[in-house]
Amino acid sequence: MSVDSRFTHKIWQEEELSKMVKGGVPFPMLTDAGGRIGRAYGVYDEDAGVNIRGRFLIDPDGIIQAMEVMTPPVGRNVSELIRQVKAFQHVAKTGEVMPSGWQPGKPTLKPGPDLAGKVWKVWKPENAF
Amino acid sequence: MVQAQSPATEVRSLPRLNEPAPDFEASAFVGKGFKNVRLSDYKGKWVVLCFYPGDFTFV
Repeated sequence: MSVDSRFTHKIWQEEELSKMVKGGVPFPMLTDAGGRIGRAYGVYDEDAGVNIRGRFLIDPDGIIQAMEVMTPPVGRNVSELIRQVKAFQHVAKTGEVMPSGWQPGKPTLKPGPDLAGKVWKVWKPENAF
Repeated sequence: MVQAQSPATEVRSLPRLNEPAPDFEASAFVGKGFKNVRLSDYKGKWVVLCFYPGDFTFV
C-alpha cells in the first residue's frame, strides 16, 4: 500500500514488477490517497506526503501480532517476515513458543513450571544465529 | 478525536500489538483489474499489510 493511485500501481506492475516477478506480484496493490490509512497505522510522514515502510502481521481474528517500521532507505527482509508468519501460526496452533533464532523445523519450547530456569539445558546462545 | 486542521499538534502513534488492526477500505489494482479491498474481507486469514513510500522508487 502506498499513496500512489491504482493507475500508477497498474503501470508499475506492467512496466517493472512483471519483469522482476513472472506474472507480476500476486497480491493486491492498495491505494492510500492522502495517507488516510497510513495515519491510522502511524506510518504516514506528513512532511514528505508518503507512508514510510511499515509492516503489520495481522492474525485471522484481525489482531496485530507483529510490526516493523523503517525509514525509506533500507529495504525489508522477506525471509524474516516469512519466519515470523510461520512462528505465529505455530503458536496459534500448538501454544508452543519459539526461542530466539527459531526457524521452521527447529525445536520449540513448551512453557510451564518445569521449564522455568531450565531453558539453558535446551537452548544455547549459538542457536540465536 | 483527531483534529484534521491542526496536524502540527496531532499525536499519531503506531497501533498497539495484541489489539485489533484498524479496519479500512481501499481501492486496489489486483491481477488485471481494479477493485475495492477491505481489511475485514480477510477475516479468517493471516494478513501481511505493507506500507511503502512509493511506486517506481529504488528500494
